[in-house]
Amino acid sequence: MKTLSICALLFLAAVPARAQVDLAGDWRAVQHEDTFRRGGVLVGEYVGIPLTPGGRLRAESWTASQLTVPEHQCIPHPVTYAEHSYAMGQMRVWNVVDPETAKIVAIRKRGTWMEPERTIWLDGRPHPPAEAPHTWQGFSTGRWDGHVLTVTTTHIKSGHLQMNGVALSDDVTLTEYFTRRGNYLTNVTILHDPVYLTEPFIRSSTWELDPSLNFVRYPCGPNEIVVEIPRPPNFVPHVLPGQNTGLDEFAVRYGIPVEAAGGGAETMYPEYLQRMKTAPVPAAPKPAAAAAAAR
Amino acid sequence: MMNRIPFAVVGFVVMTAAAATAQRGGGTPEPSSASAAAPIDLTGSWVSVVTEDWRWRMVTPPKGDYIGVPLTPQGRKLADSWDLARDNAEGNQCRAFGVGNIMRMPGRVNIAWEDPNTLRMDFDAGTQTRRLRFGSSPAGEVSWQGSSVATWEITSGGRGAPPGKPRTGDLKVTTTGMRPGYFRKNGVPYSDKMVLTEYFDRHSEQGDEWFTVMAIAEDPAYLSEPFVVTTSFKKERDGSNFKPTPCETTPPPR
Repeated sequence: MKTLSICALLFLAAVPARAQVDLAGDWRAVQHEDTFRRGGVLVGEYVGIPLTPGGRLRAESWTASQLTVPEHQCIPHPVTYAEHSYAMGQMRVWNVVDPETAKIVAIRKRGTWMEPERTIWLDGRPHPPAEAPHTWQGFSTGRWDGHVLTVTTTHIKSGHLQMNGVALSDDVTLTEYFTRRGNYLTNVTILHDPVYLTEPFIRSSTWELDPSLNFVRYPCGPNEIVVEIPRPPNFVPHVLPGQNTGLDEFAVRYGIPVEAAGGGAETMYPEYLQRMKTAPVPAAPKPAAAAAAAR
Repeated sequence: MMNRIPFAVVGFVVMTAAAATAQRGGGTPEPSSASAAAPIDLTGSWVSVVTEDWRWRMVTPPKGDYIGVPLTPQGRKLADSWDLARDNAEGNQCRAFGVGNIMRMPGRVNIAWEDPNTLRMDFDAGTQTRRLRFGSSPAGEVSWQGSSVATWEITSGGRGAPPGKPRTGDLKVTTTGMRPGYFRKNGVPYSDKMVLTEYFDRHSEQGDEWFTVMAIAEDPAYLSEPFVVTTSFKKERDGSNFKPTPCETTPPPR
């Protein structure tokens, strides 16, 4: 008994050290949370997003028809969304080695849909000046904080936060925390956007290592672009303010107050549970209307 | 032989301890308790930030809405037969507030050291308490929060990290011995056979303090594969917003 007690005490103090972390490999997304948001959300579904009024107005003027415009068809998901979308349903990560020093100077990663590819520099280089070009995947630098790879990304093109018009400006900055545990890799991301978000927006994604992954290609280029809907040249599909008739769809379908569906920082916190007890909920659709909508 | 085995075990443990000491930089004395050994500080008042799975966390989803949860056919059958009125009548109001879902509940958690080797988590949602015990966990009675064994994991850097290893790490918690409960308010079940493994990390980012917990639920009864979710909490100045509420599930709006 005495020996066991000694063992227990020593184990308590002897915290085991992990092996050096390597993120390289083929990863398959584990899609157990936020399933809809990753695959597509409804118009007017902004719950849990700290939108500014301007961000909400811009989202409400969006229409899915924009995705059909030839000039937009090959726009990839920006890094702010790609990490949590089906674009990273399959993800390949590899290390970049400096041939002179044999040291790892960067990590590269690539997804499938539109093939978003990015470099995370580990060699201590600074971010470019503010006026440098912005790209869909931005400019990323990383550092290891123990087992966590902390990545800071700037110079991201103005893009979307999710696929229903919620937008981010090109002032957005992204902080990511990549953590590997066994065969799981998790990325916790925090966004700051002084234009469209009133406070930081945090979310996460997880992948599982899959060495047998059949990594598919989903490129998009001139050969993939087609005229889906004939339109006048330079036409941009849109909805003018106050004219979007689809904004209630999410609230109606799930019995959620319309004001909650509109998002805002207050919808992220527990206090909002009380607010929802008194906020008006839209009536359920009549069966005939629901059936027509389903068609 | 019987006398030699314990010495071998002790020898192994001493070597492990020495290795851990080396990770910490050598000459520093071994911490005498889990609180002294903590590589990260999780104590304080925290609020859950519900930016993910909003529709399943802030609202009671409809019966049968278990999208994303890898249920077995038996698990789906049970979820499809969920009856909130029956739960309330049978005194099972806390099923959605058990260890399989308490971290996903919108609410606040106060974390403090109850003693040098027990980290206590008090939740205002459902007025629940978890005790994360370092070293060993007594085989206590089956409860909503189960029995949790905690260990600090001291970590080295990743590939490409510069030389020199900062002392950092995470908290690993393994929980068993829980009463059957729900992953979601609408009766998505887990059984008393579940093993819940959690990893707690701390992040400081542009003036905000966060902790995230990655949870891996393995349940041979109702899950066809491990169920993995990550949840984030932001630190608050104090516990003034902590308002305990009873276990109560509102009916689905639709």
